[in-house]
Amino acid sequence: MNTPPTQNPSSKPPPIPGRFAFEPMPEGGSPPLVVQALLKHPGRIIYELQNNWRAALPLSLLLLVLLGMLAYGVVVGSFSGGAQLWIAPAKIAVGTMLSILICLPSLYIFTCLSGINAQLRTVTGVLFAAVSLSSLLLIGFAPIAWIFSQSTGSVAFMAALHIGLWAIGIMFGLRLLEGMGHLLGGSARNHLKFWSAIFIVVCLQMMTTLRPIVGTSDRFLPGERKFFLTHWAETLRDESAKK
Amino acid sequence: MSNQLKALLRGDADRLSELLGKPTTSALAGYAGVVLIGSGFYGFTLGLWRAPLQAFYTAIKFPLVIFFTCVGNGTINGMLAQILGSGLSFRQTAVAILMSFAIAAIILAGFAPLTLFVWFNAPPLESEGAILGHSVMLLTHVFVIALAGVIANRRLLGLLRKMSGSEKAARAVLFSWLAGNLFLGAQVAWNLRPFIGSPKLAVEFLRSDPLRGNFYEAVWGALRHILF
Repeated sequence: MNTPPTQNPSSKPPPIPGRFAFEPMPEGGSPPLVVQALLKHPGRIIYELQNNWRAALPLSLLLLVLLGMLAYGVVVGSFSGGAQLWIAPAKIAVGTMLSILICLPSLYIFTCLSGINAQLRTVTGVLFAAVSLSSLLLIGFAPIAWIFSQSTGSVAFMAALHIGLWAIGIMFGLRLLEGMGHLLGGSARNHLKFWSAIFIVVCLQMMTTLRPIVGTSDRFLPGERKFFLTHWAETLRDESAKK
Repeated sequence: MSNQLKALLRGDADRLSELLGKPTTSALAGYAGVVLIGSGFYGFTLGLWRAPLQAFYTAIKFPLVIFFTCVGNGTINGMLAQILGSGLSFRQTAVAILMSFAIAAIILAGFAPLTLFVWFNAPPLESEGAILGHSVMLLTHVFVIALAGVIANRRLLGLLRKMSGSEKAARAVLFSWLAGNLFLGAQVAWNLRPFIGSPKLAVEFLRSDPLRGNFYEAVWGALRHILF
């Protein structure tokens, strides 16, 4: 009796239609190709990270994260102007990196719990890819954010707008993790959805920890500790009191 | 060009996808020209009730709202088109959106005689019924602009369906473009106000404080005023 050959889930994933096709990237892997793959064929990035790992790819993705966050940070800082023009981008870039660092171990554990056979470096690369896609989208949103930052004096409105735009970006970014689950043979995708919720909460709390980012303050970092929701409620209350 | 415009109005997905497949600079300039003339002409009728000078200003500003919205959302629209699987490049996205604005501009230009007729019959600024005249003009223009927008985007859906080969992707891309363009377009229009011109305020190209406040805060403020 013939037994069916065992398959490496990473080399032959279940077929996924469309843009999540699991195939190699074209030769070169230059930054424009990486950007194109992120937008059009994210399955190629996951393929390279899993089957053809080169340090250059995750480094390019990391660079993209930093550049995107710094660029969008300048737009965030343009609301208050002055020192916030460099403080906001610095805090956003550092905050994003810290959030990645804090959440990476749990992502690896949840990846394993999902039944995905991936190495830590692959998972790290996919997380960089997810955040770099969101930072790319933030660059796209930058003109919209800029026009509003020049048209309003409301910190609450601008904060809500930035959170809204970031939420759209990260939603698309985190779909890459779902894609990884599909392509690398994950059996339980709810784990990655749960981790995505954790990552979003950590990012929101990180920006609260590093406040102020939209508004200004005499201090570089806040003196008192606050949870995101408490800070948000206080911001809204202050805004109503002003009116 | 006339054949292209007819194809645009018919929403001929085969012909439009052919045009979109090889977007040329002259086609881009042609659509921009249609937007400029069509929406400029309609803009003239938009400001005419308040004063001829306001009509002239609005004829300039109405196309500007469209162009600023296209430029401001150009990058994000291109990215969303690719992420959502439309198969369109950045250039093709820009052309597709300009195509839909060109359709809207042609429809608006077609409605211009009708809105001129409404203007002719509306109580003028100097009359006792000036407030009624202003309200009628406002409602008429909101209706016509919304109608042109809906029809233009309906035409774009057929093209997106053809290009992406997927109903789901076409709807997702169209929805994301619509949401983004409405969100930014409303704010750009707010910054470039006035268009019709308030009966109680002076005729101006831009208000003295064009960057003060934003559309959504104003809507929220009006709602609070009504509700609380």
